[in-house]
Amino acid sequence: MTPDLKVVIAGVEFSNPLMTASGCCGYGEELSEIFPLSKLGGLVTKSITLHPRLGHPTPRTAETSCGMLNAIGLANVGVDKFIAEKIPFLARQKTKIIVNVAGSTIKEYVEVCARLNDCEPIDMVELNISCPNVDEGGMEFGADPKMTEKSIRAVKKVFQRPLIAKLSPNVTSIVEIAQAAEQGGADVLSLINSLVGTAIDIDTWQPRLTNNKGGLTGPAIKPIALAMVDAVYSHCKLPIIGIGGIASAADVVEFMLCGATAVEIGTALFIQPDIPVKIAKDLKTYLKDKKLTSITNLIGKVRKYK
Amino acid sequence: MTKIISEDIFIVKKRNLKNDYYSLVLKPFSKIENCQPGQFVHLRIPSASIFFRRAFSLADTNAEKGTIEIIFKVFGRGTRILSSFRKSDYLNVLGPLGVPFKLPDKKEKVLIAAGGIGLPPLLYLVAEMVKKGYNPETIEFFYGGKTAADIIERNRIKKMKVNFHPVTEDGSFGEKGLITTPMEEMILENKAEKMKIYSCGPEGMLKAVNELGLKYGIEGQISLEAPMPCGIGLCLGCVVPLVKGGHARVCCDGPVFDIGEVVL
Repeated sequence: MTPDLKVVIAGVEFSNPLMTASGCCGYGEELSEIFPLSKLGGLVTKSITLHPRLGHPTPRTAETSCGMLNAIGLANVGVDKFIAEKIPFLARQKTKIIVNVAGSTIKEYVEVCARLNDCEPIDMVELNISCPNVDEGGMEFGADPKMTEKSIRAVKKVFQRPLIAKLSPNVTSIVEIAQAAEQGGADVLSLINSLVGTAIDIDTWQPRLTNNKGGLTGPAIKPIALAMVDAVYSHCKLPIIGIGGIASAADVVEFMLCGATAVEIGTALFIQPDIPVKIAKDLKTYLKDKKLTSITNLIGKVRKYK
Repeated sequence: MTKIISEDIFIVKKRNLKNDYYSLVLKPFSKIENCQPGQFVHLRIPSASIFFRRAFSLADTNAEKGTIEIIFKVFGRGTRILSSFRKSDYLNVLGPLGVPFKLPDKKEKVLIAAGGIGLPPLLYLVAEMVKKGYNPETIEFFYGGKTAADIIERNRIKKMKVNFHPVTEDGSFGEKGLITTPMEEMILENKAEKMKIYSCGPEGMLKAVNELGLKYGIEGQISLEAPMPCGIGLCLGCVVPLVKGGHARVCCDGPVFDIGEVVL
């Protein structure tokens, strides 16, 4: 019997637990040239804001040991153009569509999500309350429990489908923020967003990013992400989508054992764009070897030392 | 059928062209029939200290042998490690990627403007034009470098029977100065003729060539270089500003752009 990769999150069924992470596949068009998007459980779009943004000047990415720094600056087409030009393509894809939304005020989050609520092909919204790369907001929402709760509550009033809160690791206690998101009415938690970091060119003495700092992603952050997923799973009831340096089926298994119901794959797509297809195949082999019928058998089953 | 795939590819020939310049011939590449001049391949260098792939313009392809060639200069960590690879070593290749050059009309005079390690895509372009029956005597091949050591593959250029105009900043080989000076003279001498410019090289040179094209109303294309984490338009790390406003991704909206299209 072929093991079942299907997972259900907040009543939405995903064909497998693999999704793209926001900002790592635009609005899906380019990735669809590499493999059919139906191979993904879900596709998370680049962050959408109320108005179009060009983002920061280049260089806005830099290579680090086992990872990358980025400060793209939420470059995106804006919600109106997104709905008019990107949604028709996404609607044709046989995968779940999750739209990531960023903003600098609660009003902005609400306005964008209200428009997305009228857009039928969208299955869920992921609220980016944790972008480290914009001065005016983003992370400051996700670093304050009260603001987290308030912004989620406001969006829940206008967006009727499941809402994911994407959490920042750049906080003293991610559990406290997760509980605030739960309190505010979030249906799902996704974690972690990138860690604030920087790199300096020792010839010019200038930072390698024009934004002077950026977000660290890739395999370098995986152990931190795993520990945070584990901590949040122990203290919250909401389903978790794990994010952070996932590049193999083994990584997915680790995240699920720590409590994730699904995962988002980000930076790994830049190195090996067809990696989700390989991971799905390898996950089936793993489950078969372990004589498991469903991938959901893994969720939260880490055997901790007493 | 997907247009882009990644596959393992072996080094079948390695040449140290001069000092820090190397040529690698690689095979088998299943998408060889799709390759066009101006396009690039994204190579994964198997080393723990290299995280991103590295982009290399195609310097040549051979459909019968199933080989592609890249030429590079050791510049940073990635190219240093790549230069240590030997025959039979393998790399993972993604491609061919990017927008190719648009070939000129056969009646047009062609001005090639290569600078330093911007040579490879132009070598491929000219080889392809000669193969397609363009008259090599209508191709003026300007090639500039800092010193004589930076003018590589001279015999290969001469063999194509084009008009070769080497230029070095210190005058150690060919004319002394920058290539835009003899290029401008050529343009002024042939004002009556319809011309096209193709260029790849350092930013300062591209800027000067771009201005030359605009000044005399000569159409043409330039190939840009940028650090590219993904190479396929996913990450938005390699953008350039456009004259009409907004950004273009060098990896998939380029690397070849029309003269006057991007802000340099």
